[in-house]
Parts: sequence; structure tokens; C-alpha cells
Amino acid sequence: MGQRVELDLDAVKGFRFFDPHIHMVSRTTDDYQAMADAGIVGIIEPAFWVGQPRTGIDTFRDYYSSLIGWERFRSSQFGIKHYCTIGLNSREANNEALAEQVMELLPFFVYKEGVVGVGEIGFDDQTPAEDKYYRAQLELAKEAGLPVQVHTPHRDKTKGTSRSMDIALEHGLDPGMVIIDHNNEETVKEVLDKGFWAAFTIYPFTKMGNERMVEIVKQYGPERIMVNSAADWGISDPLAVPKTAALMVKMGVPKEHIERVCYKNAITAFAQSGQLDERAMLEKTDIDQAQKYEGNTVLRGGQQPRRDAGSIIIS
Amino acid sequence: MDDLKAGGVGQHPVKDGPVADLIRQQLSEEEWKVLASEVSQIAANPVPGRLARVFTTLPRKIQYADRLVSAGVMHGVGPNGMPLVVKDWSLARLARVWVLMHIPALEEASYQKLIEQLFIYGEMEELVALYAALPVYHYPHAWTQRCAEGVRSNMGFVRQAVLLDNHYPARYLDEGLWNQLVLKAFFTEEYIPQIIGLRDRNNEALARTLVDYAYERAAAGREINPILWILVSPFIEGRAFELMSKRIESSESLLERQAIAFAFSQSNFGEAKQYVATETATKELLKVDIASTPWADWGVASAQ
Repeated sequence: MGQRVELDLDAVKGFRFFDPHIHMVSRTTDDYQAMADAGIVGIIEPAFWVGQPRTGIDTFRDYYSSLIGWERFRSSQFGIKHYCTIGLNSREANNEALAEQVMELLPFFVYKEGVVGVGEIGFDDQTPAEDKYYRAQLELAKEAGLPVQVHTPHRDKTKGTSRSMDIALEHGLDPGMVIIDHNNEETVKEVLDKGFWAAFTIYPFTKMGNERMVEIVKQYGPERIMVNSAADWGISDPLAVPKTAALMVKMGVPKEHIERVCYKNAITAFAQSGQLDERAMLEKTDIDQAQKYEGNTVLRGGQQPRRDAGSIIIS
Repeated sequence: MDDLKAGGVGQHPVKDGPVADLIRQQLSEEEWKVLASEVSQIAANPVPGRLARVFTTLPRKIQYADRLVSAGVMHGVGPNGMPLVVKDWSLARLARVWVLMHIPALEEASYQKLIEQLFIYGEMEELVALYAALPVYHYPHAWTQRCAEGVRSNMGFVRQAVLLDNHYPARYLDEGLWNQLVLKAFFTEEYIPQIIGLRDRNNEALARTLVDYAYERAAAGREINPILWILVSPFIEGRAFELMSKRIESSESLLERQAIAFAFSQSNFGEAKQYVATETATKELLKVDIASTPWADWGVASAQ
């Protein structure tokens, strides 16, 4: 483990990828371009903590609004279908006065087009306030008929994961409608045994590495397992899904299994929202970046021209 | 009303007419009944929760929500005499505009607040429908700032719903806001002839700004949209002429050279008139069939 392997995505040329957890508000257009080039055709952006606590309800509203507006558009400029999940994250559940207001706001967003779940919700410090708002949002998801994207805690993870699942079951959720995220070797068996979806975040230094991921797929097979990047404002990798797929090819994982864990399973899980249709991702977006018609761009809706990152000339 | 009976709802009829007909053609009988029933309830009593629910969830209620519909210019659809221009609208967008048409003319502040709430919580496709509906809202003067906000939108689809094929801006924006709209359209490389009212609202302040913009483009070595010169044409003066007379000879774009020739030929500015009279190359450039150019609409006008 840990040996350097030169970046080469030729092994996965022609593959289609879906990253069901990535925070694009924190990423650049270069990332979008690289993701599109690597074969990522769709993504889900869960509502999350933006790196420091919000202090008012309006910033929550504007954030949710950007997930279904500006960010969705930004993504479309690179031919990537953008979906999102909407929820109150666990850290900010601890500001109870604000959390109450956020709970009142959520119904305005969870029924929107392209909102494929309630998320990411769950535990961080595993406080009583986190417990309270996790439960309230499970009820909201049930009422709206939406899948749930569950963030599991960094600290005391194994217990936190079990507890998250127990509470979901206690509230009568079908485990097939719940995606348990940020799994590792210690949590995966219980999650799969209980019938939940098991998502794995390939994130340098703090979460899973992709060599470990390959071993997990070899051991457990592709059933109900999905890979994501959770790339955000930290040191993370928006190409984690295609890179992991390339490593799987190298390590002899069957192509069909790779397709399941890096594309198909996430789509199947979140399509239960009725807000995600695989056909939308199969539409070929034919983008001739340079084509102009009578001095006007034909890239309607604003497909972005390609920047030549390999040149010192900026025009 | 038959539609109403089909929907099984009380005394508030859904609006029939071309928009309703167009929608109905695309829906199953069952989908139409459900939609007509929802819409008549909104007409009867537009409670915010119901309006938001119907407006937001509309694409889930119809099978072919993404299907594109075109009907050209549709007259007689709203309270203010402005037509809707339906070109490649998704069925969801058309139906959403139709839903909005059923909000009764409440007292102005309440009416505006109700619709503003939809804007504030709107996702991208909803915003497209909300801005496309500007011509059919009651109290048309109340929407100028909202319209200007749409012009500022960074979401291309949303901005286009305001800028292009929309009759509201030319009718209600003041000169400052109108000029911002046109300038924004040039900046975002829209197809300029699709802006409605471009010719009627053309003005000297806009022309001056466009000439400054053209100088910046020239300095950057970027193309200049030929139709810019058509807008400048009635207001050519020394500074505009200086750049135009350079570019009519040096521009790599034949269309731009043709546009400048046309602009000169329409101008009363002495040097421009003289240029047309003395430079034989201009005659060649003026041979282009105007109907085939983006300034086709300006051809007829010149005869008036």
C-alpha cells in the first residue's frame, strides 16, 4: 500500500461515472472540466457545513437556493448533470435556535426538481440536539418519499454508524431508502447486513484510501456499495471516483462490478426519489467549443469555452 | 365551462385560449383534469402553500414535462396586451406560466408578494418560467426591478428568459435599465436580434456605451458583434466613425464590414455619407441581401 502509481485514466476511457457526494460550491471550473474529461456525467451535492458555522437563517436559504440554482447551472456548462440533497448538517444542528428555523425552511426546498434526498444528516459529536434534528429530518424524508443520505461521524464512528441505522429503523424507514456514508472496513459489514446502502468516501489522509476500497469491493462484491469523493474545501480529490475505478481495473476487479460501484448503484439508490433519471445522463451533450454563428456563440445556455491550461498565454 | 366540469371544480374557470389548448394537446386526459382542477383552485383562492406546491411539483405530475413546445407569438394571453413568444419551451415551463396566469389580481402588494416568494425559493427551471411570465403578470409596472434582477442573473437559461423573446422589458424598463439589458446581452454573447423592441428602444446613450465597448473589444483584439454597428448607426459621430472607418477596411469578419457599410448608408453623419459616396468597396458590401443578415428588421425601416 501507498506506492505511487502514475495518473493514467486511459484504463477507464469510455466509462461513465457518477459521484453521489461532492461539494461543488467549493470547487473551481478546472475541477468541473477535469471531471467531465474523466467521464463523470452526473453528481449529487449534499447540503453540508460550509467550513464555519452560519449565524442566520438567510445564509441557509441562500445556500440551499444556490444548490438548486447557480451551482446546477454551473455544472450544466460542463455537461454534468447536477442533483442535490437538502438537509441540516449535524454540526449546525447544535445551534438549536437556528436549527428550529432551518427545519421550517426545509419543506420549501425538499420538493424541488432535482432534489434527490434529505442529506447529509446524522451525527457529528452525537449530542442530544443532533439526535433531535436527525430524527426530525428522517420524518421529513419519510413524508416527502425521499432517500436519506446519512453522514457518519469521524469520532466514535462504529458506534455512531450503528446508532444512525437503529434510529432510522426505529422511525420506520426502509433501509433501502437510506444511504449510509463514509463507511470503512469496520462499519461495512453491519451496514450491508442490515440492508442499507453503503457509501465510501475516497478522501486523502482522513477517510478511505482507494487501495483499501479495492479490497472491500473484492471482499464484499458490488451489491449496494457506492464510491464518492466528498470533495470539498479541504484537501480532497474531485477525481476520486474515476481514479478508484482505474485502480480497480488495474487490480483485476471485473468491469461490471466497477460500473456498479462507480455509477449504477448510486443512480439506483437516489432514483427512488423520482427526481433522477439515468436517461438524462445518457443524452450526448455535443459541445463544439469554438463554433460561432454570425458572431454569436451557439453554446446556448452558456457552455463554457475551454481554457488552455497548458499554455502560459492567456487570451 | 367544459374544462371546469372536466376538472370537477367549482365556479372558478381555468382560462381557455391558445395556451390552454397547447398544453391540453400535450397531456393525457387524466393529467389535464388534475392540472385544470389545481389551477382552478388557485384561481379561486391563491393560498401561498397551494400555489407553491402546484408550481414546484408540476413536472412530477406530467409525463412529458421535458418535451419542447413551440407556438411562436401568442397574442391575447395576458391582462396587459403583451404576447408570449413560445419557442422551444419545455412543457413544464409553459404549464408553469399558465399556472401563474391564474393568480387573480389581488391587491397589488399581496399579489406581488405572492409571486416574489416563488422567485425567492425558485430553482433554475422555476426561475426560467417565472421570468418568461413577466408579460402576463398583473400590475406590470411593479415588476421592473425584478426584471432588472433577471438581467443580472448569472444562470444563462434564466437570463435568456428575460433578454430574449420577451415582450416585457422593452415595454416597461426605463432607459437606464433597458440599456443595461442590451449591454448585458452583448457581453453574454446572446443572439441580439432575439431581443424584442431593440429597434424601438434604441437610443443615443446606448449607442455611446456600445461604441466604448467596441473600442475595448478592438483593444483586446476580440471580435465585435456586427449588429452593434446597426444600433450605433443613427447616432454615428466622430468617435464612432473613427473606429468604424478603420474596421470597415480591416475587420476579418465580412459580416462586420457589411454591417458597417449598412450603418454608414443609413447615417446622416457627413463623413459617413461621404465615405459611402466615395469608397467603391462600400457598394460591394452593400450588395448583401439584408433579409439574410441579423439586421434584416432594419431593412424595412430604412424605407420609412
